[in-house]
Amino acid sequence: MIRLEAIAKTYEGAERPAVDSLTLEAKDGEIMILIGPSGCGKSTTLRMINRLIEPDAGTISLDGVDVRTMRTEELRRGMGYAIQGVGLFPHWSVHENIGTVPWLLGWDQKRIDERIRELLELVGLDPDRYDGAYPDELSGGEAQRVGVARALAADPPVLLMDEPFGAVDPLTRDRLQREFLDIQARLRKTVVFVTHDIDEAVRLGDRIAIMRDGKLVQCDVPERVLAYPADEFVAGFVGGERALKRLSLAKVASLMERTQDVADDLPRVGADANLRDALARILETGGDRVAVVDATGAVEGILTLDGLMAHFRRPVE
Amino acid sequence: MNRRRSLSVFVGPTIAFAIYLAIAAYPPLWESVLGRIFPNEARLVYQQSSMLKLIAQTIMMVAIASTISTAVGMSLGIFVTRESGADFYDVVSDLANFGQTFPPIAVLTLAVPLLGFGYEPTIFALALYGVLPVLQNTIGGIEAIPPSIAESARAMGLSPRQVLYHAELPVAAPVIFAGVRVSVIVGVATATIGATIGAGGLGAPIISGLANSDPAVTLQGGLLAAGLALILDAFLAASEKVLGRTVTSRAAVAKSANR
Repeated sequence: MIRLEAIAKTYEGAERPAVDSLTLEAKDGEIMILIGPSGCGKSTTLRMINRLIEPDAGTISLDGVDVRTMRTEELRRGMGYAIQGVGLFPHWSVHENIGTVPWLLGWDQKRIDERIRELLELVGLDPDRYDGAYPDELSGGEAQRVGVARALAADPPVLLMDEPFGAVDPLTRDRLQREFLDIQARLRKTVVFVTHDIDEAVRLGDRIAIMRDGKLVQCDVPERVLAYPADEFVAGFVGGERALKRLSLAKVASLMERTQDVADDLPRVGADANLRDALARILETGGDRVAVVDATGAVEGILTLDGLMAHFRRPVE
Repeated sequence: MNRRRSLSVFVGPTIAFAIYLAIAAYPPLWESVLGRIFPNEARLVYQQSSMLKLIAQTIMMVAIASTISTAVGMSLGIFVTRESGADFYDVVSDLANFGQTFPPIAVLTLAVPLLGFGYEPTIFALALYGVLPVLQNTIGGIEAIPPSIAESARAMGLSPRQVLYHAELPVAAPVIFAGVRVSVIVGVATATIGATIGAGGLGAPIISGLANSDPAVTLQGGLLAAGLALILDAFLAASEKVLGRTVTSRAAVAKSANR
């Protein structure tokens, strides 16, 4: 668990604080998103956690231990770090890059080699092909994958990520996000993740902390941020189509009525599609309901427009 | 995807150097060529000393001076880009810029009263003048490192010293090396001026030719000095290719730097 308590930081010569009495907690195993417009202090906040920047006031603790009492290098070796632009060492092979922290920790070579193979497979890169490659031979998406593998190398409990998927095209980003969620489902790291992209935040976040001018405006699960934005600023920031974003958070299976009594000519959606996909299907076919089918195509139930409306009227917890 | 280069890159420069030495050590060739260019000159080649000896003298002076320049230039450049040396950054970088505009002959003249005639003032002047490109490129190379690399290095828990050895210096190495190359090439040219204060080397025929109005002798020295500069540059370019990956790979750095 990472706890930030009344953290403040003012850069030399700046008129207002970059971060202003911020209190925030990232629980074990959750992805905590820090989001806000440029200059809101989200990256500064992230960099204070591993002491790349020292706060002027307040305390940051990791599992109850004040980070200032730990040796900086040891603190950092225990926290994976992945950033936009990746920052791979250009003169080191992929192998050496990923093995950086294990090497710093003094692992023996055999263990490092095994770990690197495992990580390359985890991030979806063929070890035989990529192990000896150099960073300038990688595409943007491959470099980001290596960056994530490097951050995970010594199996740190904490990951700090600053727009790690920011510099790639939308299709690649989509795939990297999906893969990252798969990895996180297995590894259950405590992740603090900075982004300015609300769609990314909604998709990846267990909770979202929205910042403005160095202050925390709202911190809640994505559904509630979308359903109950704390103020005009948050409402504006999450965007006009927040109703649709909410729909994308829930699966069809969670809202369908189980029945086998379904007309053959009804349009169909998969049970693992989200509500937004289902609504789109209803709108494009002009009806008021869709049939829900499982992966084999067998009918499981139906989803109606009324059901979707009711979903919206229910309070979000 | 192994890109380590073998020592084969040195074959070309070595052959060129061998040919260069053979030509330099064969006066009849010079006499026939220079005799055609200067048909009215009585004295065509420098006879007071063998060319090989002069070449060796030049190489020695440049080698000593460039070693000093590289050590001093890199140390200063590293120092002022550290947190502890940041206060000296402006002074040192202004000095480096100013020094570049200072003609080498002036440095040489100023060194004589301090060190007398001969090798020592020449090496001193060469070293002093050669510091500047190395210093400038060390500062420039370290400052040009992408922030994401320096930040990742720190964030992964490399100590300041490890950041220097494993991230900053290797990434800046090509730029620093370019500075060393400039320092060596300028050194060969400047070393010829050393002959005016009795340092010998390939400047001796140049100065002797000028003093005695023997243009052929001056041309001989000039061609040999220019040829030497080109060949040394080719050697350095080859070293750069080999050093590019091998020295900066982690195993090699770990051997040279105590982690």
